[in-house]
Amino acid sequence: MNRVWRHDLAWAGFILGAAVLFGLVQQWPLARQAWQGEIAPLLAQARNQRRAEQFQGVKTVNLAQAYALFQQGCLFIDARPADEFNELHIPKSRNITPDMVEAAMAGKVAALARDREIVVYCGQVSCDLALTVAEKLQSLGFTRVTAFVGGFRAWDEAGYPADTGK
Amino acid sequence: MRISSSLIGLRVLEVVLGGLFFYAGLQKVLHVHEFAEAVLAYQLLPESLVGLAVAGLPWLEVAAGFCLVVGLKRRSCLLLLTGLVAVFLIVIFITMARGLNIDCGCGLFFQRQVGWAAVLEDAVLLIWASGLYWWELLRAGKGGLESIVQAAT
Repeated sequence: MNRVWRHDLAWAGFILGAAVLFGLVQQWPLARQAWQGEIAPLLAQARNQRRAEQFQGVKTVNLAQAYALFQQGCLFIDARPADEFNELHIPKSRNITPDMVEAAMAGKVAALARDREIVVYCGQVSCDLALTVAEKLQSLGFTRVTAFVGGFRAWDEAGYPADTGK
Repeated sequence: MRISSSLIGLRVLEVVLGGLFFYAGLQKVLHVHEFAEAVLAYQLLPESLVGLAVAGLPWLEVAAGFCLVVGLKRRSCLLLLTGLVAVFLIVIFITMARGLNIDCGCGLFFQRQVGWAAVLEDAVLLIWASGLYWWELLRAGKGGLESIVQAAT
């Protein structure tokens, strides 16, 4: 059995090495930039390109614009899962996830005026939930929806107010 | 030649498992930047090694999954998948202990967060892969050592 085990392990090692080598060749630009500590700009560029295609027509706001809209009393929608929302969120925001919009949660979505100024946010810059919800709301007829792509992390790091509870 | 039902069962389980990993790996290859963001979010590897993981892991899943489906070096593939899932299970536990709410980056059919559901999913895969490896070993053991080495080559 020991011989079999060694044999299996040797082939497993070969497959592992071949896969990693092939992957490195195939993804060489990404691997090289990561090695040089420059993966973040590459990922940001790829993310922006993908979003420009995937979420055409969804307007976005930056941190300063989001805070200005918050001070004006705009409705903020938190697109994160309920447990994250309950932990900490932007004051007076409502928790509406993509599933809730899809299921047309009558109480939370249908009651809103279609011309109300709405800002949707999620966890951080890499998450797509805010853009997804904003796009879904637009398709339901909401005309003044924007996505705050910096997300709650950027908001929290800037020291802006945050709230717990529902 | 009579093919036993247990052999058919074994192969079906292997093909399904291999297919799942092949598909999950292919998704990561096709959406490599999203996978890189998921790996970065774990905050476990230094940035210099993220590229290596992002380049290698998807192809490892593809290669092991494909070989398992077509029946090439099945035991070695099962060993690889067992190790892969075991490491990922440890990574999930570390991430949960650190309180990070992040996407697990597992691929397959829908996005899911790191949490107990991901632990359960990985535990099932771990039992599945290691169980099949054990089954293959027992099968090989019945035929004697020479046939084992012959079957493995």
